[in-house]
Amino acid sequence: MTSASPRRPDVRGLINASIRFAKTFPREFWGRLSVPERVAFLLVPLAMGAAIVTVIAIFWLGGPVVDFLGANLPLVRFAVAGTAILLLTVPTAFVLIYLELKVIARMNLRVGPNRVGPWGAAMSVIHGLKVLTKEDFAPTGADITIFTLAPVVTYMASVMTLLVIPFAPGLIGQDLNVGLLYFFAMGGLTVVGLLMAGWSSFNKYSLLGGLRSAAQIISYEIPLTLSVVGVILLAGTMSMNRIVLAQSGSAFDWFVFKQPLAWIIFFIAATAEANRTPFDMTEADSEIVAGFATEYSGMRFGFFFFAEYVNVFIVSALAATLFFGGWTAPFNWPWTYNLNWFHPLEMGFGPWLAIVAFVLVVAPQILGILVMLFGRGWTYVQASVLGALFTLVAVVGLVALAGFIAFDWVQGLFWFMFKTYVFVVTFVWMRATLPRVRVDQLMGFAWKWLLPASLVNLFVTATAVVLLNR
Amino acid sequence: MSFIPGLGIAKGMSLTLRRFFAPKATIQYPETAPDVAVRFRGRLQLLYDELGNLKCETCFQCAAACPVECIDMGGFDTRGRFHVHWGAPEQYAERREESALRRSGRPVPDTEYSHFAAVDTAAVDSILAKYDFDHSQMLAILESIQRAYGYLPVAAIKRVSQVSGAPYALIYGTATYYRHLRFEKPGHTVAVCFCTACLIAGSSRVAGKIAGELGTQIGRGPGPVGIVLEQLPAHAPGASSPLVTLDGKPQRVTEAAAAAWARGVAGRTVA
Repeated sequence: MTSASPRRPDVRGLINASIRFAKTFPREFWGRLSVPERVAFLLVPLAMGAAIVTVIAIFWLGGPVVDFLGANLPLVRFAVAGTAILLLTVPTAFVLIYLELKVIARMNLRVGPNRVGPWGAAMSVIHGLKVLTKEDFAPTGADITIFTLAPVVTYMASVMTLLVIPFAPGLIGQDLNVGLLYFFAMGGLTVVGLLMAGWSSFNKYSLLGGLRSAAQIISYEIPLTLSVVGVILLAGTMSMNRIVLAQSGSAFDWFVFKQPLAWIIFFIAATAEANRTPFDMTEADSEIVAGFATEYSGMRFGFFFFAEYVNVFIVSALAATLFFGGWTAPFNWPWTYNLNWFHPLEMGFGPWLAIVAFVLVVAPQILGILVMLFGRGWTYVQASVLGALFTLVAVVGLVALAGFIAFDWVQGLFWFMFKTYVFVVTFVWMRATLPRVRVDQLMGFAWKWLLPASLVNLFVTATAVVLLNR
Repeated sequence: MSFIPGLGIAKGMSLTLRRFFAPKATIQYPETAPDVAVRFRGRLQLLYDELGNLKCETCFQCAAACPVECIDMGGFDTRGRFHVHWGAPEQYAERREESALRRSGRPVPDTEYSHFAAVDTAAVDSILAKYDFDHSQMLAILESIQRAYGYLPVAAIKRVSQVSGAPYALIYGTATYYRHLRFEKPGHTVAVCFCTACLIAGSSRVAGKIAGELGTQIGRGPGPVGIVLEQLPAHAPGASSPLVTLDGKPQRVTEAAAAAWARGVAGRTVA
């Protein structure tokens, strides 16, 4: 009979209650979380810990490491470029797939993906995860080695071309003096991958599909390459970076105005090269079985798929680089202010603390109060979260703006990405519009029209260069 | 027409670009229901299989579902043994009841047909005389009847059919097509607000509880106790959340007390 008197607190009961709470709370808390919340609950502390450890490591070991890296700059450059380009391709493919889903849907008077993430933005990531979880299957009788290598070759052929594309001044994997030649050599490797896939599948339809794509891509590679030779003649170099520099100035210095015919040929041939509508015979998904990829499933198929979208990005980037001035601004950018008065490392502890406090505490609160004032019925917690989100957006925007003003490579990257995505959207737009051509029309067009036209263009350009240079 | 290369492509591209910015046709189905007429049953059509035989199995489901009983049919059953026919009019109600039961697992009350009370039809006669017994004025006639009685009594429609000569199914069809015409005596109306503030305060759960107690749902007309559940078009100024109104007057209904409150309203209406 324990009757707790009001004067003496029931210490034992309190302790028992706390123990019970400590025992049951974790399980209840865990049970209350959804699956994404559980993943986030595990990953967020890990990521924060990793970030803290990294910062400490940079402060403690930064000096010697920087010295070592500085002594081996080419090696570092290669490693960083390779990693960055590999890491860049998959998100790029995700963005392009999402863009395609959304843009084509809107053009078909549909809404498109709108369930996963804001405006369905995580849809392609979920697609990727789905592909990743599927069974990795190889048909009986397939040449397993080649069957496995084929998607790798196709994907790597696409990815390797990114090494010579100048994203911004100084932001280029390797400024080869035969950059364009390397680009087309690597692009040609795609055909090898497709043929490997078609042949090793032990399926005559796959083989036929592979041969069909090889025929198409090789046919269009010739006018594509020939149309670019005019640009090479004008620029006097095959280095992608110097081709961009040869177009610097204003929009009127772009090669598209000096080589309009070459641009038209290039655009048509590039469409065929990237297997885009109206030349997507390779896997005319509404008409035939998937061609060379018939026997592929899971992530191996996913690599073909990714390679296709990376190809779209690459072809757009090449179009922007060769004909539209690459990373140069379309007009003489009037301001490149020096933000040297802002010394983040020499500010001292006080201003840093002020900035951190402002970004983490003051700004979210101010924005949250504004949300509560002008929104309808937000609670304080909701308003605070919204305020923090707004702050994040504002800070990211401000940092990007500062970078745009202060660094020419940020500017260059902006213009390059802008031009590239204009062409990406154009490709998607074409896919939403144009019907597919027939195989004989496709081949006839390449050999009877594009090839002679590109030869004429090359001849005229060469003559003009010789006459003007004399 | 002059042939300009690429003109067709340009036309097509401009079309898709305009479509990009055009309003979208998609209806987010579970969240928003498409706005179709009450009696819409899709397109009724007899289909043939690849051998040219009629695919209709004479199951009478369409006749059972037809609200105006205009479908009549005869044929052989699926094994080709019995010549069957959709039964006599006096069998309609029970057969409809039976097939409705089969499909939904619960009896579907069909108040318009199973029972109708006699009303004084003198007003109907005068209205018809005013419109000169003209079928083509049916909507105006029905609106006048609804103004006179407050709703459309079945007896009044029968009287219209009898006197003016218009088929009953036609009048019924007109009456069910227009949403402002109603067959039920106007009872009480419970409305729940779904503005953001009310939603956060739990108005959807409140609405669910009330709907369970009243035996109806938003947009379904009155339930067995004759109360209509509606969605408030806008939050009444100054009212607290979650906002529930009874015949337009705000009520104090908390989430916990919603079920009890709805039971009380239902009892009061019946009494």
